[in-house]
Amino acid sequence: MTWALLITAFVISTCGLIYELIAGTVASYLLGDSVTQFSTIIGVYLFFMGVGSFLSKYVEKNIILTFVQVELLVGLVGGSSATILFFMFEYVENFRILLYSLVGIIGVLIGIEIPLLMRILKGQLEFKDLVSKVFTFDYVGALLASLVFPLVLVPYLGLVRSSFLFGIFNVLVAIWTLHLFRKEIPWLNSMRTIAFTLVVGLTLGFAFSEKLVKMAETTSYHEHIIYSKSSPYQRIVITGGKRFKLFLNGNLQFNSQDEYRYHEALIHPALGSLPEAKKVLILGGGDGMAAREILKYPQVESITLVDLDPALTNLFSKQKLFIELNQDSLNSPRVKVINKDAFVWLRHCKQKFDLVVVDFPDPSNFSLGKLYTDTFYRQVKKVVNPDSLVVIQSTSPYFARNSFWCVVSTLESVGFKTIPYHAYVPSFGDWGYIIAWEGGASDSAGFQFGHHYPSGLKYVSKDSVASMLDFPADMKPSVREVNKLNNQSLVHLFEAEWDEYAETF
Amino acid sequence: MPKPSDSDDTRIKRSTFLKGLIGLAIAGGTGKFLYDRYNTLAHVPVRLLGPSMDFGHMVRDGSLKLDPNAPVSKKVKVLIIGGGIAGLSAGWWLKKEGIEDFMLLELEGKTGGNSASGENRVSAYPRGAHYIPLANAESTYVRMLFQELGIIETVDATGIATYNDLYLCHDPEERLFKDGSFQEGLVPNRGLRPEEKAEIERFFKVIVDYRNRRGSDGKPAFAIPLDLSSRDEEFLALDKMSMEQWLKQNNFSARPLLWYVDYCTRDDYGAKPADVSAWAGIHYFAGRRGRAANAEQNAVVTWPQGNGFVVQKLTEKLASHITTDACVFHIESKADAVRTAYIDRKSRKTFLIEADHLIFACPRFILPRVLKQDASKKSIDLDYVKEVVYPPWMVANITLRSLPPARGIARAWDNVCYLSDSLGYVVATHQNISTRLSSPTVITYYYPLADRRPDNGRMALYRADPEDWKESIVEDLMRMHPTIDRYIESIELWPWGHGMVSPGLGYIWGDTRQKLLQDLDRIVFAHSDMSGISNFEESQYRGVEAAIKVKAQLS
Ligand SMILES: Cc1cc2nc3c(=O)[nH]c(=O)nc-3n(C[C@H](O)[C@H](O)[C@H](O)COP(=O)(O)OP(=O)(O)OC[C@H]3O[C@@H](n4cnc5c(N)ncnc54)[C@H](O)[C@@H]3O)c2cc1C
Repeated sequence: MTWALLITAFVISTCGLIYELIAGTVASYLLGDSVTQFSTIIGVYLFFMGVGSFLSKYVEKNIILTFVQVELLVGLVGGSSATILFFMFEYVENFRILLYSLVGIIGVLIGIEIPLLMRILKGQLEFKDLVSKVFTFDYVGALLASLVFPLVLVPYLGLVRSSFLFGIFNVLVAIWTLHLFRKEIPWLNSMRTIAFTLVVGLTLGFAFSEKLVKMAETTSYHEHIIYSKSSPYQRIVITGGKRFKLFLNGNLQFNSQDEYRYHEALIHPALGSLPEAKKVLILGGGDGMAAREILKYPQVESITLVDLDPALTNLFSKQKLFIELNQDSLNSPRVKVINKDAFVWLRHCKQKFDLVVVDFPDPSNFSLGKLYTDTFYRQVKKVVNPDSLVVIQSTSPYFARNSFWCVVSTLESVGFKTIPYHAYVPSFGDWGYIIAWEGGASDSAGFQFGHHYPSGLKYVSKDSVASMLDFPADMKPSVREVNKLNNQSLVHLFEAEWDEYAETF
Repeated sequence: MPKPSDSDDTRIKRSTFLKGLIGLAIAGGTGKFLYDRYNTLAHVPVRLLGPSMDFGHMVRDGSLKLDPNAPVSKKVKVLIIGGGIAGLSAGWWLKKEGIEDFMLLELEGKTGGNSASGENRVSAYPRGAHYIPLANAESTYVRMLFQELGIIETVDATGIATYNDLYLCHDPEERLFKDGSFQEGLVPNRGLRPEEKAEIERFFKVIVDYRNRRGSDGKPAFAIPLDLSSRDEEFLALDKMSMEQWLKQNNFSARPLLWYVDYCTRDDYGAKPADVSAWAGIHYFAGRRGRAANAEQNAVVTWPQGNGFVVQKLTEKLASHITTDACVFHIESKADAVRTAYIDRKSRKTFLIEADHLIFACPRFILPRVLKQDASKKSIDLDYVKEVVYPPWMVANITLRSLPPARGIARAWDNVCYLSDSLGYVVATHQNISTRLSSPTVITYYYPLADRRPDNGRMALYRADPEDWKESIVEDLMRMHPTIDRYIESIELWPWGHGMVSPGLGYIWGDTRQKLLQDLDRIVFAHSDMSGISNFEESQYRGVEAAIKVKAQLS
């Protein structure tokens, strides 16, 4: 019996420390700044353990029953703690209150346990033996927990599952205690029923935790999430309130506050030079913002928008908030939305367009990198006339200058002439675009901006465009490569450049 | 002595018993539920397919007999037996030469042989050959075909080809899982000691040297097709020692290098360096000199269905000449014609074809089983056929919900695990130009049974339960992707009892191959086993050369 109880001490302390570590890790994930999170959580936890120990003296009757009840509660609260934290992050106003309350509750309960256990063991051991043994097991348990947590639990089980697992251990201790003292405990049967129900509940939590984790993953954005959805193509997340941001796969696509700068700079320098433009093609741009800018030109008769993700185009053609922002462009009779893969669609396209707008996410992975290759631009070439223009968003010439100029070189390698330019968009930083055109052999004069802009633009004007054309020395490239399907130079450059940038901050 | 009353303790009460039962049921139920959830593999369906065995066995044991009075069903000028790359290439050439009076018989329901492919709702995928390197300058037939099929788009004045970008293997091409994560390329480059690194560099220096060497006859030391190689004794001597001996002789002993060479000989020949001639081993590295205007020198072309792409194109061109499900079991060479009998595997009817010339494009081990010798003449000695070795392979096509995560660099087309007995896997959807983040895919897993004698390997190949294969394959893959079991939707096993020929010591430049190269009256041969190295270029070369010979005999 004594040994059984000492092992109990061991399990309890392991579980306790694990919950603390889980809370610390979850808090660092969600709130950042792990030093602060871990120190405040350890502090709060230890303090409340003290509170628990203090309270234990008010337990006078039914010590064993109380011990079992506390154990069950720890199992329930501790076991579901990671899940609660991940889930509630989106919904509670002040996440820290929830966090510290949970840590506090677990602290109090664990704080009660050890003194109670010592009192249970009192009759069986001499005092000095009792203290030495209980604390030995307590501390060994702590050592085990602190080793197992980073080496085994986090990598193999993850936080949510680990927390359920240790909740189950706690409840098993309770069941074991019930068994050891089955003759002395009142309400034996109802306690047993509760304990078994808890085991089943926690086990189910453990089994389905993967789904839970998935649902909780969206919480890594710093702002309130107002919409999130995983389509087969990407993960769409929108955060904010009145002003909002769109993220695709975690990368910011626009901020409603300054997206007009990005989209005006994307469209007007090119389209303002094409007074005869009738047919426009947008590749990507499922948010309808580029279409909104294009619709300001009465001469444009039709816009074909090819974006692979119906989830995105539906969102921006049906939801009030977004329709307000894109001025219902996707429902305009002049706009035709096609949900196809741009590369595949282009290969079968037989039409010609006066303006092609290429607005894809940055080349942050190998499948997106394919949309910036010479092979892709050769397909683009098939759908333009000699006097058509193409405009391409091409990442930041400041943060990723070699990447930006790699897009320029790639366009030139397939015979396009290019005019690179850049605009300042506060949410993104300095952002780059390229106007490209085929230009026949006769066209040696090059390209002239027409500056036929619609009224009401907030950013693009004759003067601002002039400044967009200037590239200072810190935006000039150090290497020039052509991006091909079989070298994916751009993705390699892009990764290296953004990594470097991320490291310095 | 009166016993203390203990009835309460020892007798189980009915209610306790019932509660216990319920408890057990709950525990059992949850247990099973959990087991099922985590043992996802148990539900993964595994299908055992493979080249058809039934008729093969009937051919072998001689149970298929030709009725001596059977009428001739058809007469043709040329009959090709075998619809692998060699047979199809023979047909392709005949057609180019304007010869239309020929027929091609293929045992299986589809042409392709070792370059066969399959397809499911996710993707097409290879069941054998899956890539072709850039063609060398001397590989003229390959270049001709590539231009015809649009694989090569243009060739400039200096002979440098521009390949179709969509067919060139997209980047990242290869990655190696070593020391817990994926590195770029297959040559070990992480965690090496300086002397290991130096040795690897020295090895490639030697290789580059061989690649650029020419013999006293002016021919390249290692050419593709290999019959165009120099016959300089200096190089041919390499055929008499094993790759393992050669490595030892040249003081190559770094483990990462030895692993890499071992991987390469298993990859190309299905055999270990000890069982492969050094000439063949070096040819793998030094033979490839193909260049392209728009790709690096070591680039390859590939398609979702692997070389099945080329098979399909050739098959379309020859459609009206091809008869599938045709199992040839009888060949008789007469003075004026060759009589060939086949059984239609579907209708089980026998047909007799009389041809002026026969191109035998099956693996040579089939020949003694089908060739009926003329009892009145001195019999032809076919014993040399036993010297031709075809190691067995297991190929598994695994359909995944999406590619599972792994540590290290991003997913590549070819994915290999250091020190594994398998060759890893290639990704069928790698050449897709679609942008889906994570989509279902098919991976093709290659496992040559190189560590035992081929006949023992064949027994192991067929004896093991498909479920056991499934388990060992998934276990192997889990070294690279610990969670892959949760991504698997289904597995197709494709055992190759006789995979490709492997070039043992003295095979390529010794007597056996000389015998394989000889015609037999009106029978001309075409198969990669006549090269001793089995790849697309050799098979095609054998096919075209056979067609050229026949053409010469026709006119
Ligand atoms: C697992 C594996 C992977 C490979 N990977 C590659 C690769 O990536 N790249 C590469 O270049 N090469 C690869 N190869 C080599 C491959 O063998 C060659 O590329 C090529 O496909 C061989 O063609 P073949 O025509 O010489 O022979 P085979 O493919 O053997 O063709 C012989 C044909 O004859 C038929 N046949 C046999 N018996 C009869 C009969 N009685 N009646 C009628 N027909 C009959 C067969 O069904 C078969 O279609 C691989 C081989 C294997 C086994």
